[in-house]
Amino acid sequence: MLDYLVSIILTAGIYAIFALGLNLQWGYAGLLNFGHVAFMAIGAYLTVLLSMNGIPIFLAVLAGMILAGAAGASLGVATLRLREDYLAIVTIGFSEILRFVLLNWSSLTRGSFGLFGYPRPFQDLVGMRDYNLFLAGLVIAVLLMVYALLEALSRSPWGRVLKSVRDDEAVAVSLGKNAFSYKVQAIALGSAIAALSGSLLAFYLQYINPNNFQPVETFYAWIMVILGGSGNNRGTILGALLLWGFFSTTRFMEGYLSFSPSASSAARMILIGLILIGLMMFRPQGLLGREEELSIGR
Amino acid sequence: MMEQLIANGIIYGCIIALAAIGLSLAYRILNFANFAHGEFLTLGAYFALFFAAILNLGFPAACFLAIAATAAFGVALDLLAWRPMRSSGASRTAIMILSIGLSIAIRNALIIFFRPDALRFPLPVSRGMSIYGMSITPLQIEVVLIASAAMLLVHALLSRTALGKSMRALADNPDLARISGINVDRVIRFTWAVSMGLAALAGIMYGLITHLNPNMGWSIILPMFAAAILGGIGNAYGAMAGGLIIGISQEISTAFLPAEYKIAVSFLIMIAVLLFRPRGLTGGG
Amino acid sequence: MADDILSVNSVRKSFGGISALDGCSLRVKEGAIVGLIGPNGAGKSTLFDVISGFVQPDAGRILFSSREILGMPAYKIARLGLVRTFQIPRSLMRMTVLENMMLGAQGQAGERIHLTLLCRGRVMAQEKDIKEKAEEILQFFDLLRMRDEYAGSLSGGQKKMLEMARALMADPRLLLLDEPFAGVNPALADRLIERIRILKERGLSMVIIEHAIPYVLALSDRLYVLNKGAVLASGHPQEVISDRRVFEAYLGEGDNAQP
Repeated sequence: MLDYLVSIILTAGIYAIFALGLNLQWGYAGLLNFGHVAFMAIGAYLTVLLSMNGIPIFLAVLAGMILAGAAGASLGVATLRLREDYLAIVTIGFSEILRFVLLNWSSLTRGSFGLFGYPRPFQDLVGMRDYNLFLAGLVIAVLLMVYALLEALSRSPWGRVLKSVRDDEAVAVSLGKNAFSYKVQAIALGSAIAALSGSLLAFYLQYINPNNFQPVETFYAWIMVILGGSGNNRGTILGALLLWGFFSTTRFMEGYLSFSPSASSAARMILIGLILIGLMMFRPQGLLGREEELSIGR
Repeated sequence: MMEQLIANGIIYGCIIALAAIGLSLAYRILNFANFAHGEFLTLGAYFALFFAAILNLGFPAACFLAIAATAAFGVALDLLAWRPMRSSGASRTAIMILSIGLSIAIRNALIIFFRPDALRFPLPVSRGMSIYGMSITPLQIEVVLIASAAMLLVHALLSRTALGKSMRALADNPDLARISGINVDRVIRFTWAVSMGLAALAGIMYGLITHLNPNMGWSIILPMFAAAILGGIGNAYGAMAGGLIIGISQEISTAFLPAEYKIAVSFLIMIAVLLFRPRGLTGGG
Repeated sequence: MADDILSVNSVRKSFGGISALDGCSLRVKEGAIVGLIGPNGAGKSTLFDVISGFVQPDAGRILFSSREILGMPAYKIARLGLVRTFQIPRSLMRMTVLENMMLGAQGQAGERIHLTLLCRGRVMAQEKDIKEKAEEILQFFDLLRMRDEYAGSLSGGQKKMLEMARALMADPRLLLLDEPFAGVNPALADRLIERIRILKERGLSMVIIEHAIPYVLALSDRLYVLNKGAVLASGHPQEVISDRRVFEAYLGEGDNAQP
């Protein structure tokens, strides 16, 4: 039973952190990031590669966050002065290219063979038996910290400017706010948070390869954010739990319906697609968002 | 060596160009980036496979049917999905996310029905001939010829038919066109039909020169967007030029970069365009 | 001239093939109120967009306190003290009236991410000061009781007042008011005239676009009439109004296409 709870916390928790980063970019800043998974991949791979080469794990995680933040900021700088949907196109392109590079730069990443046997935080101290429990605790701690950080920012003057940029950029500009800079900051911070979730994922799975970071993962985060009502951090965490519930239930049912493995994962993907379509057509404000808010409807 | 790369680039570029025309026009007229566009290519190819291999129709007939079926699918999609979203005032973001959902659903439905393996059209293998030191198959030449014919047809459509001119008007200046009495819904449906038809043709040709798999369309969505943006969103001729440029650039890059990284070239071109000339070659976007 | 707070020289702007501003020039003396009138489509709002940096002109010079501001990004121009309001009030609907106001304050340490996270004390102290200032200005505009309401729930006239109040939070030296009296009932309008006069006494320079001639006559030290993107007449309000050409320009209003 405890094992089950631990696995819930680990999966839903890591994805909740991932989605919170997206919520900052979309819910608070109104930015369209369709490549969020790329930053998770950067976090995972950089942490693993650096720590495998002797760099202390904490620094490796930090490096992943910084690189992801810089990459996100660069994409933002290239496109934020243009139509908002160009950011969507560029980020989805970036996530595909990155996955491609990770697959093909075998000398660095060992391609689809993947990386394993890398150090994990406090591994010797905690020991293998209780490690997942420890990691679950770590994930909860990180989740709470990220949540607290985002809530504090949301209520701060910085958050106020960001929200004004989302709602009516002309107003923010007419009051002397550098709207462009705020959008870049939101992208950078959201990407860094995604990288952090990637590092945690690497610690949990003990094995990473480029197929962990497919474009569809970005849209899991979108579902989580939308379900909870865009801009609502608590809602995002709830969305993560709900989506995790969806995955568990479908995996459970697979046992009963004898699909082949590829057919069953494809069937699950079809459901994901239908969920996205359904949400957009019938309930863009999600479960916790208010009709008037209609955050997706701008 | 370089001539071979350029030749390959032209062949590949024609396919991108055809796909990009529809993407570009639809983007401008319907005002959103359709991430499911790649799936229309895939559908076209698989429809053709279905009609040819399972219903055993002659290949050319199968292709025509496939193009028609995909176009009909596009119009149906407009009625079922895009139009209700437009009427309910849905934001561009919501429509784009819907297109992502559609893309995921279609791709995976194909995986279930046709299995994820690579498939080939039931045609004899086309052998390469040596022309001026380059290896080119008759099939590849046919592909280029058909693509060129299609582009000429598109040109005729846009410049000589009333509906085509309305499409251009709507693409060039949506607000003005709406006021001047154009039946917007009809033009939109027509745009979808043309866009999907071209995509289906592009998909069939892509399947001819490579092979079919459920991800085939999605795997070239980036070059398609790059071509549309390079050419200037909303400009069919720009998309044609953009497609060829992207195709040739990608192939030439293999002389300097490992072949697997070809696709990064279109990404870099797209970024460069967005940084220095966001409205593209023709100033459309 | 030395005591001009704003000097606009021969500004030109075309959109597509259509000329919106055709060699437009305007001067505002420090501490003065300049009225800007003209038929629909004359280019008045475009001129505001150009002056405040929202639109880049094709030609011309703009000096704000003897400083060239043409080509400067709009947010920097606002920080220099040149603040504009919008013709249709743009209240941030999802924020309260007070939040709208507090957004306007300048030099907020808390708007910088590292300061807002690390220097909580300083930021909170500043927030307190900003809140007091906001409440003072809201009181001036009779909006204090609405401070915790969502801006989206205000009436049209109240939104107009909020628009102006919020702009004042930014410590402007020159305020561009775009139709401040539109949709404001006569009783409120009298109060608004009073308020604008008080602001002028406190040293604020203003340019006011307005369609209702009586208000503009009551307030302006100098009047400009814009027609087809250029200045048709300018000078003392009473003289300008009596100019026949101004009357004719308004008569021809029906022929002018909206840009």
